[in-house]
Amino acid sequence: MKDKYLVSAAPHVHDGSSIKNVMWNVVLALVPALVFAVYYWGLRALMLSLTGALSAVIAEALIQKWRKVPITVHDGSAFLTGLLLAFNIHVGAPIWLPMVGAVFAIGVGKQVFGGLGNNPVNPALLGRAFLLASWPTRMTAGWVAAKGGAISGINNLSRIATDLPSLSPKAYELLTGATPLNVAKTLRDTSFVAEINAKAGGLELGSRILSSLTEMETLKSLFWGNIGGCIGEVSAFALLLGAAYLLVRNIIEWRIPLFYIGTVFVLSFFFGGIGENGTSLMLPFFHIFAGGLLLGAFFMATDYTTTPYTKTGRIIFGIGCGLLTIVIRLVGGYPEGVSYSILLMNVFTPLIDKLTMPKSFGKVKK
Amino acid sequence: MNFFKELTKGIIKENPIFVIVLGMCPTLAVTTSVKNAIGMGLAATFVLLCSNIIISLIKDITPSSIRIPIYIVVIAAFVSVVNMLMEAYVPALHKSLGLFIPLIVVNCIILGRAEAFASKNNVIMSAADGIGMGLGFTLSLMVVSTIRELLGAGTWLGIKILPATYDPMLVAILAPGAFLTLGFLMAILSMVKEKKQ
Amino acid sequence: MMYYLKLGFILLIFCVVATGILAYLNTLTAPIIQDRKTKDEIDTREKLIPDAVFAADSTASGMQYFRARAKEDSTLVLGYTFICSQKGYSSEVKTMVGIDKDFKVLAIKVIDQAETPGLGANCEQESFSNQFKNLAEADLKVDKDGGQVVSLSGATITSRAIASSIQAGIAAIKASMGAEL
Repeated sequence: MKDKYLVSAAPHVHDGSSIKNVMWNVVLALVPALVFAVYYWGLRALMLSLTGALSAVIAEALIQKWRKVPITVHDGSAFLTGLLLAFNIHVGAPIWLPMVGAVFAIGVGKQVFGGLGNNPVNPALLGRAFLLASWPTRMTAGWVAAKGGAISGINNLSRIATDLPSLSPKAYELLTGATPLNVAKTLRDTSFVAEINAKAGGLELGSRILSSLTEMETLKSLFWGNIGGCIGEVSAFALLLGAAYLLVRNIIEWRIPLFYIGTVFVLSFFFGGIGENGTSLMLPFFHIFAGGLLLGAFFMATDYTTTPYTKTGRIIFGIGCGLLTIVIRLVGGYPEGVSYSILLMNVFTPLIDKLTMPKSFGKVKK
Repeated sequence: MNFFKELTKGIIKENPIFVIVLGMCPTLAVTTSVKNAIGMGLAATFVLLCSNIIISLIKDITPSSIRIPIYIVVIAAFVSVVNMLMEAYVPALHKSLGLFIPLIVVNCIILGRAEAFASKNNVIMSAADGIGMGLGFTLSLMVVSTIRELLGAGTWLGIKILPATYDPMLVAILAPGAFLTLGFLMAILSMVKEKKQ
Repeated sequence: MMYYLKLGFILLIFCVVATGILAYLNTLTAPIIQDRKTKDEIDTREKLIPDAVFAADSTASGMQYFRARAKEDSTLVLGYTFICSQKGYSSEVKTMVGIDKDFKVLAIKVIDQAETPGLGANCEQESFSNQFKNLAEADLKVDKDGGQVVSLSGATITSRAIASSIQAGIAAIKASMGAEL
């Protein structure tokens, strides 16, 4: 995709890339993440992922047959959409969730607009947004811890909390049964922190938990992925491995991921601290490894159809995604903002493209 | 032009929502339940009927350069009447429609029919047009709300229809569900029309 | 000039006629609306604390409440009712509360809200309001904050608004009773 749309003089050489080639390569790059997920959660992770991918393929084939257009499911784009959608669901979800989501993603997110290349927003993310709006409790409750880790990623959290038998069961569950970003969001709730601090007898439990979020040990868990989370986003290591492959093969371009992650890094460093807990260099790393940022930045914010194709446009897109992600994570109602930030920037893509289009040669400013 | 034709055209052929695409705000906002849809539909029908009759009656004394403000005064007066009557005699319905009743004033179906029909036709035809359009509006709201309530809450008119094992698809009764349902219904309607031709 | 004056005059006539009709109708319906509102309030109050005679009163801070006395014995104070409200997720959530003479909740009823359908709007359901029964001031927090109120799924903010508005209401009545005693 690098510089692919630069105008240059003929002759042009076709480099052999095709939709099919690109899509299956992205699927290949997602395999490490899937392998990690299966290692952590067993075959259920694989089953959910394949359910999502196959439902998407079947939905696309049926809709294309009904629309009387050529059936193009072998190009892998539907498979990829379904897989990415399933990657945004956690392993405790019922099996019908990725099915319904994939059908919605393909039907409403893609085929309604005319199929591949015509969808205004990323279908997989639209499917996720649909599932989150429809079944919020199924999407955000019942997290399962990865093998050998705690859901919150803070291995000593259960110790901190059991030291305090007076903590209400719900508060206990909120601190131990939630993903790292959920815990970070919960700690932004001042009445909750006041409550647990009071129960801890002035121990400043809130700050203690907060600082343990950015401990080296927690970051390590986030990096390898033995935490609770969605199937595909859990291991930063696996996602970086896949991303490196795509970058080396020139399938994705570096600008969007770099500026996306860079913006999150800078903003979380300056604004990520809570209360008296100041910021530290660990905080940006927490925000990058936790949640779906890496999955979103490398695999979804780089979708060809829904992101700008000018270089400047991509920089704007990346910064916009980063800004929105941090705003949602730190100020908004949801613990995670990656999917909504990409969806919102997808909508801005035509505008960004229009504003950053290079002038054609010889054209004079009016 | 006959009376019966004016009465029925609003239901399918010139359906105010799916064909003329007027009055989208109330359509999207009140269709979260069938009960609200019926209430809104009937209230709007009443206002439409009254305003059509009055506007048709005064069409000869209305200077054309200030006709729109005059229509708005007539419509707003009837909306206030409906608002007061509903609050006094059907308070439960008034409570759930609350915010939307004053919105009938700016429901473009009513101004649209005043401008496009009642100001050019006699009283009887205008009344028929008002009832027809109102019924079309009410029926369309009922169709949209039936789908939304069934999917989003598993009920119809508050009665449990789908089995308890059905996990309601909440998005259907949230704002995006309104747009999705409306979009699909319009698509289906134009598909049916295309097939007929 | 005359033309514009004429237009303005015609419009004025329409407005005057419309206003006249509305004013007349308002005099007819306003008392009915007011009656119904008062009656609704009385009905709700009687449901919260049955078999009682109510007398209006207000705290030092100006909060309106009703003192409920037993029908048979007017010296016996059964409890108090009051209306409290707090901003929820998308609207002001208004709740009528009945408490007994030990300031424990007897029953509550959410009387006005416009929260998200399917989530916060479920606060009107009895399964939610029944759990407030017998809660004392200290318990009136959502479970997340260490209280006894199990919050509605996906609607902690609504649940918290109801719990904390009731808590504040009870505290106000308690304080005013304390001053009286």
